[in-house]
Amino acid sequence: MAQEMREGIYDLLAARGVSRRDFLKYCGSVAAMLGLSEMAAPQIAAAVEGGAKLQPAVWLDLGLCTGCTESTAQAGNPNVADIVLDLLSINYMETIMAAAGDQAEEAKAKTIEEGGYILIVEGTVMTGEGGNTLRIAGKTGMEVLKEAASKAAAIVAVGSCAVDGGWVRANPNPAGGKGVKDVAVELGFDKVPIINLPTCPVNPEWIVAVVIDVLMLGALENLAVLNLDELGRPKLIFGQTIHDNCPRRGHFENGEFVKQFGTVEEVKQFCLYEVGCKGPQTFTNCPKVRWNRKASWCVESGAPCIGCGNLNWVDNDAPFLKRMPNVGGVRPETIGTVLGGAAAAGLLVHGVASFSSGRAKGAPVETSKAYDKKKGGDK
Amino acid sequence: MARAVIDPVTRIEGHLRVEVEVEGGVVKDAWVSGTLYRGMETVLEGRAPADAFYVSQRICGVCPISHGHASTMASEAALGIQIPDGARLVRNIIEGAETLHSHILWFYTLTALDYVDVVSALSANIADTYALAEKAGTSTADFGQVQKRIKTFVEGGQLSIFTNGYWGHPAMKLPAELNLIAVAHYLEALEMQAEAAQIIALMGGKFPHFMTSLPGGTAWMPTEEKLGGILFRWKRVRDWVANTFIPDTLAIAPFYIEAATYGKGCGNFLSWGCFDDASFDPKKRALPRGMIVGGKLEVLEPDVAQVKEYVEHAWYDSPSALNPAQGKTHAKFTSYDTNDRYSWVKAPRLNELPMEVGPLSRMLVAYLDGVPQVKSLIDTTLAALGVAGKPEILVSLLGRIAARNLETLYVADEMGKWIGELVAAVKGGEAKFFTESTATDGEGAGLWEAPRGALGHFISVKGGKIANYQAVTPSTWDLSPRDAAGVRGPMEEALIGAPIADVEKPLEALRIVHSFDP
Amino acid sequence: MSHEGHYREAHPLIFVFQHWVNLICMAGLAFSGFVIHGSFYAISMGGARMIHFTLMFVLAVNITSRIILSFWVKDANQLGTREVDTDIKNWLPQKENKHQLLETAKYYLFMRKERVISAKYGALQKIAYLATVPITFFMGYTGFALYGPAQQWPVWGFFAGGISLVGGIMTMRIIHYFGMWVVILFTMVHAYLAAIDGFKAFYGLIFLWRESPGAEEGH
Repeated sequence: MAQEMREGIYDLLAARGVSRRDFLKYCGSVAAMLGLSEMAAPQIAAAVEGGAKLQPAVWLDLGLCTGCTESTAQAGNPNVADIVLDLLSINYMETIMAAAGDQAEEAKAKTIEEGGYILIVEGTVMTGEGGNTLRIAGKTGMEVLKEAASKAAAIVAVGSCAVDGGWVRANPNPAGGKGVKDVAVELGFDKVPIINLPTCPVNPEWIVAVVIDVLMLGALENLAVLNLDELGRPKLIFGQTIHDNCPRRGHFENGEFVKQFGTVEEVKQFCLYEVGCKGPQTFTNCPKVRWNRKASWCVESGAPCIGCGNLNWVDNDAPFLKRMPNVGGVRPETIGTVLGGAAAAGLLVHGVASFSSGRAKGAPVETSKAYDKKKGGDK
Repeated sequence: MARAVIDPVTRIEGHLRVEVEVEGGVVKDAWVSGTLYRGMETVLEGRAPADAFYVSQRICGVCPISHGHASTMASEAALGIQIPDGARLVRNIIEGAETLHSHILWFYTLTALDYVDVVSALSANIADTYALAEKAGTSTADFGQVQKRIKTFVEGGQLSIFTNGYWGHPAMKLPAELNLIAVAHYLEALEMQAEAAQIIALMGGKFPHFMTSLPGGTAWMPTEEKLGGILFRWKRVRDWVANTFIPDTLAIAPFYIEAATYGKGCGNFLSWGCFDDASFDPKKRALPRGMIVGGKLEVLEPDVAQVKEYVEHAWYDSPSALNPAQGKTHAKFTSYDTNDRYSWVKAPRLNELPMEVGPLSRMLVAYLDGVPQVKSLIDTTLAALGVAGKPEILVSLLGRIAARNLETLYVADEMGKWIGELVAAVKGGEAKFFTESTATDGEGAGLWEAPRGALGHFISVKGGKIANYQAVTPSTWDLSPRDAAGVRGPMEEALIGAPIADVEKPLEALRIVHSFDP
Repeated sequence: MSHEGHYREAHPLIFVFQHWVNLICMAGLAFSGFVIHGSFYAISMGGARMIHFTLMFVLAVNITSRIILSFWVKDANQLGTREVDTDIKNWLPQKENKHQLLETAKYYLFMRKERVISAKYGALQKIAYLATVPITFFMGYTGFALYGPAQQWPVWGFFAGGISLVGGIMTMRIIHYFGMWVVILFTMVHAYLAAIDGFKAFYGLIFLWRESPGAEEGH
């Protein structure tokens, strides 16, 4: 990639008193948060006009609802046109590419042959019915993934479906949904780095941040720039809980809660913890980045977080309007109360029995252990 | 005789394969295959009804609002919940915003590339382009800048999403200047669809997949301040639709007027209806409920009990011919064989007939029902295209596109009224937005409309948990394979008779497929 | 009403004190935990959590020091005697407890009439008392795992590993919740048995550290 682009961005940073070394040391995947993406688009466009090559990319649609593509179309600055025209050369992306059928497949085959592309995967890896729960161009989705993944420079799994199977893999997983990472060994692309960007759908700002990191900071050559956690997620995006950064946190601390929808407590923007908010165990920076060009986000619009950025989010977070999921189909609170009640009842019965049997007044102690008696008898 | 295959069909939601048999440059037979099965209905079983509101939206990332609403309405019907009027207005506005978003995105981003030659725009004369835009009554942009951007892009040799497009195809008919206008508006449309989606985000948290229309009403509580942001965005999008989207449609249509002669489809149209008024009567919705059978232009009343789903040609081994309220879904892949089973899509039939769903169905029903604004919109448009008094011409490829674009303007204008009513209700201070319920058992259906057509969610709740869940989506209707009697689905039927200039690049077939917004 | 005498050697003052600290902590943790879980009461969440954290640290210190002291402090090796041994010996299972687990259970289920021979504590009792230590530290671990993500500690990996192991922070939350019920059930059974099995002779000691002579004539 064009060295001159990166030089440009370092000049801009230097003007703001940040050295290149400091920058790499501190921020990793922080491009979007620093507003770097807004500076980056014109930088890259200028470099391309000077003859630099665009970074090629292939966007693969697996078992999807197209929500992540839709979400990407909501990116603000750069917007989707900047991304597909000025930042990347997306040579294959079913939902928006001009070509169809054979012409589309040909564009993909050529890109794969040349190598060095970023592979963006949207949707669940469909393994059910021998992989035939998804068929593309006469092949199974798994075959298509295998072809495209093996020669990629890096894979970006966008949305919870691609990360770990998303809702599709929720119990009983009738279509055999899995995440990209789950099949990496089986399909032989486990050497290719995988960057995971969960949530349902993916927030476009995170794709932009990763793309800018790749283009401006050379993340493909030096993956450490992205500062990934053990699950392959950039820590600066997925390192803190929603609860940590929630603007309604003050109400939580004060014990001020929305206890019913449609009440004045919501008008006052009280905390949604009691109506099932999964903010305390969901690791995303939604409250900071927000959604749809920072228009709003779930909690701001009065909806409790459903934890769509968690692993296996449907099984782990449903019922969404309750604090905890069911255990074996039963509410944990019910299990606890029943256990406590049963123990109390059992003890009561035991107490009555102890008194009526006279044991409570003292029982004689055995003279020798039952075990020894038995042993003695055996001898 | 030659077979042309489009697999994957691009610029759609999801995965689709279309196979056509071409003889003498005309399509003689067609097979439409949905190539993805995810098992949503099975995943929902055993969960809370409110969970279905969230999860079932993930059926479709382009129309999640409609799925969310249909699911929530099904739960409300099952549990006997009547939502307050304030919630009705909130839902109508969110649903309307999705319609604007979806139709704008569909026309410019998904289907326009079948008609607009991006490369040809390079040879447009800038002065002529401004003159043409003025003549067509459409908005102008910095056409010189747009042309420069395409030039840089094409000369760089990396065409990105435009790689291998149908540039220079004989079926591309627009003059270079009109192509340039369309490309400029393609870029503007990306901003407009995002602006419409922001309305959803403000009221629903985010888009795609919103958060607030829970069974009982809405979790979002409007205030005058919040409504200001919505009104502002609505106004921008509405004006753009009136001043750019509709004039563009009317400017492009004459070049493809032969598209009014084919792509007719099965001639049966179904609309469950969308956008409730205060009576909650489906026949009084802004887009009313109704059906049209056999191309005869009169509105009949559809009975959901007469819906059956056939699986003889789909990869399921669950029983065929079931009503969705009792529906079962069990996957069993055999092989792709157009003579036997060839799709993951079931074949729904109403009164044993395939039904086309979508804006064309809705606008025809509204037109024949005499909804005044729809009647005047369609009559004016027919007159502008020189076919005044011939609404039957709408039953065609061109008509399907025109109906969708006109519907955009109609819904945009209706939205303005709902926003006004909501502002008044909030100022009045008496508006309610949520009804609590403790019911745990029942059965119900949510019959509604997604931007791409009639949508039904069917739920059975026992002991507070979902016992059975089924969804019949617009794509299930339009993309259905053959049924037990071998009758083709609506899209398959619409492909018959289409001219194909180049079997290797069956662009005309692609246009018909896209006209359904699959 | 037990026949053994209750002498101060059975429960040295420091242990009696620590026993009550344990109870106060556990009750306070359960209560503040319920507030954090469900916010049923009009108490500020910050206050509830401050109580929860403080009591957790007090309990951890208390239990740790109790373990350390058990290697130094001597107490009676049987009920009704002044003969002492290092506490840890009395706490861990002894040869008197051998082969008695099933018989003890039988006794409490009314499947046998005679009490079983045991050391200072019965087999079941010893298991329960020993289990309180890992359960308490386990609750501490799961609690930290729930709290930790906000803190970005250098040792966070220790907890992140546990979260991955159980399959997510939500599962960890449920484990923590059920762990609390285990503690509550233990406390219920413990209090009941203490009451039914010789409460009167014993209460003077445990509440007021006052000896009772025992009822020798009963032998």
